[in-house]
Amino acid sequence: MKLKNLLWVVVSLIFVLSFSSSYAAGVIKIGVQAPITGPFANEGQGIDNAVKMLVEQQNAKGGLLGKKLEVVTCDDEGTAVGGAICARKLVNDGVIAVIGTYSSTPAESAEPIYARAGVLQTSDATADSLTKHGYWTFFRNSCPNSAEATFTADFLVKKMHFKRIVVLSDYSTYSSDLADATVAALKKIGGNVIYKGKIQAGSQNFTPILTKIKAMNPDVIYFSGYYTDGGLIRAQQVALGIKAAFVGGDSNDNPEFFKLAGKSANGVYMINVPRPDILPYPLAKEFLRDYQAKYHMMPPSIWTLFNADGLRAIMYAIEKTKTTDTKKLAAFLHNLKNFPGITGPITFTKDGERAGSRFMAYEIYNNNQYKVVYKED
Amino acid sequence: MEIFLQQIVNGLAIGSIYALVAIGYTMVYGVMKLINFAHGDLVALAAYVGLTVLMQAFGMHLSNLWAVILMFTVTAMFISLFGIILERLAYRPLRKAPRLSAVVSALGASLAIENGIMLIWGPNIKVFPSNIFPSTRWHISGVVINSTQIAILLLSIILMIALYIFINRTKIGTAIRASAIDQDAAKLMGINVNGIIIAIFALGSFLGSIGGLFIGIYYRELYFQMGWIYGLNAFIAAIIGGIGNIPGAMLGGMLLGIFNVLIAGYVSNTWSEALTFALLIIILIIKPTGILGERVAEKV
Repeated sequence: MKLKNLLWVVVSLIFVLSFSSSYAAGVIKIGVQAPITGPFANEGQGIDNAVKMLVEQQNAKGGLLGKKLEVVTCDDEGTAVGGAICARKLVNDGVIAVIGTYSSTPAESAEPIYARAGVLQTSDATADSLTKHGYWTFFRNSCPNSAEATFTADFLVKKMHFKRIVVLSDYSTYSSDLADATVAALKKIGGNVIYKGKIQAGSQNFTPILTKIKAMNPDVIYFSGYYTDGGLIRAQQVALGIKAAFVGGDSNDNPEFFKLAGKSANGVYMINVPRPDILPYPLAKEFLRDYQAKYHMMPPSIWTLFNADGLRAIMYAIEKTKTTDTKKLAAFLHNLKNFPGITGPITFTKDGERAGSRFMAYEIYNNNQYKVVYKED
Repeated sequence: MEIFLQQIVNGLAIGSIYALVAIGYTMVYGVMKLINFAHGDLVALAAYVGLTVLMQAFGMHLSNLWAVILMFTVTAMFISLFGIILERLAYRPLRKAPRLSAVVSALGASLAIENGIMLIWGPNIKVFPSNIFPSTRWHISGVVINSTQIAILLLSIILMIALYIFINRTKIGTAIRASAIDQDAAKLMGINVNGIIIAIFALGSFLGSIGGLFIGIYYRELYFQMGWIYGLNAFIAAIIGGIGNIPGAMLGGMLLGIFNVLIAGYVSNTWSEALTFALLIIILIIKPTGILGERVAEKV
C-alpha cells in the first residue's frame, strides 16, 4: 500500500512539474545537442558548460527582449541515431536554436529535422558537406576541412617553399579526404607532390614506407592522420635519418604525439585551429577567465569556444532584430559581418559557412613549446 | 642497395619479434593441437605489465639498466604464471571436449584479456619512455642501425638457440617432443603430460612476454587491441614455418618480417597485408604443412 501511495505522489509531482514548466511563459529556450557521454564526452560537456555559463551571464543582465533564457540539453552520444533523436526531442521542447553538436555525423543527421522545424543550428563540426545541403537553419561556427587543406598548401609552398612534398594519410574518411584535398590545393598553387601514400593506422611499423620515402629525398612529409600514428611516424623518420621536415594535420596535435615522438618532436610543424589560451582576442581571455572561475578547469578544447561564439552570434541576432522569429534571425545571421567573437571576427556566408580561416601553423621547439609560425588574415 | 639493406635490417627486427611470439602458438599447437588465440593478448598484457613495472622501478630511483632487468624478470615471471593459469582455467576443463569448444574458449579468453587491459589501463594509448635504452645509431654505408634493433635481434637469437637446445638436449625437452608426437604413448612411458602442458604454456608465454616487451621498447606505443595484430602476424608466421615445428616458427617469423617490408617497400604499402595473406595461401598450396612442417598422419 505504502508503495502505491508513493507512486501516486511521484506521478502527481511529475504532472505538476511538467505543467509548470510549459506554463512558464516568457522564456526563450536554447537547445544544446552535444555528446555528454561516449568517447567525446569531455568535448560535449565543455559545450554544455559554456552554453550554460553564457546564458547565466545573459540572464544576469536581464535576459533578452525582457525574457529569461532557458537551456535544454540533449545527449547525442556522438552517433547519427543520437543526433536524430535529440533533434526531435529539442524541436518538441520548443527551442528556437540549438548549439552543437561536436562531431559531423550527428550534426548531419540532425540538420534536416531542424530545417523542417525552422530551428537554428550552429555547430563546430568540420565536414564540408554540412553546408552543402542548402538548409537555411545551419550555421557553422568553425571552419571546414577544405579550409585546412588550402591553409596547409599555402603554408607548405608559399611560406616554407618546400620543393619535394610527400603526403601521407591513413584509410579513414577524414584522413584520406584531408590528404586528397591538400594534394588538390597543392596542385592549384604549383606545389610538387612527389609521393602520396597511405599507412595502416595502428600498424606501428612504418619503416618500410619511410625507407621507400627516404630514397625519394623529400623536403617535407605531411601526415593527415591521427597522433597515435603521427608520433611514431615522426620518431621512426628521425631514427632512419630522414632529414625532411614533418608537418602534421590537426589530429596530430595532442600531448600523446610528443610522448611518442620523444625528442624527435622538436622541429615538427602542426597545423590546427589555435589553442584557447593563445587566442589573442580580449573576449577570449574574458571567456576563459569566467569559465575557469565557474568550473575550475580549462575548456576541453577550442571547439567549446567555437560553439560559444555560435551562441553569442544568435543572442546578438535576437537582440538586434528584437524577435525570436527564426526566419528573420537567419536572414540577419547570413548578413552578419565581423561581429567580434571569442575566436575572432564572425562573418557568415549565404550558405551558413563561417568566412575566413582560423588555422595556424605552429612549430614545436624546446620540448613541446608552441610557436606560431604562420597564419592567414 | 642501401634502401634494400635498410629494409632488411628493419624487417629482421620486426621479424624476430614475430618469431618469439610465433613460438608460443606453435608449441601449444604441437602438443595440444589447439590454436591459443589468447596468446597475442598475453603479448599485449606483457607490454602493459612491463610499462607498469618500469614506472615503479623508476619510482624507486633505480638506474636504467637495473630498471630494465627488473622489468624483464618481473614481467616474464608474471606472464608465464598467467599463461599457466590461463591453461588451467580456459583449456584444461575442455581437454576432452571437441576441438571447436577449446577454440571458442581461446577466443573468449582473448576478449577477456583484451577488455581486462582496457579496464585496468584505460582505452587511451600508453607510451613507453624513450630513454630506457641508450639510443645509439650507427650509419654503415647509408644504412642506419640502432642499438635497440641490435639488442632485439641478439636477444631473440640467444633465446631461440637456448630454446632449441632445451627442446633437443634435455629430458623435459624430450618429454615435450614425445607428448607432441603421441600424448597417450607418452603417458604410457610415464611422462606427466599435464606437467608438460604446463611447461609449454609457461615457456610460450615467457617468450611471448619478451616479444611484448620488445614491442614496447621498439615502437613505444601501447593500445589495448594491439595483441590482435601481433597475434595474427605471429600466427601466420607459425603456419608459414609449419605449425607445431619450433625452428619453423623462428624461420616463419623472420621470413614474414622481411616479406612484409619488401612488399611495402617495393610493391605497395597499401597492399602489404593482402599480399602477406596471398603468400600464406601460396605456401599452403605448395606445401600444406608449411616450410619445415612434417607430414603428420591424421589421428582417427
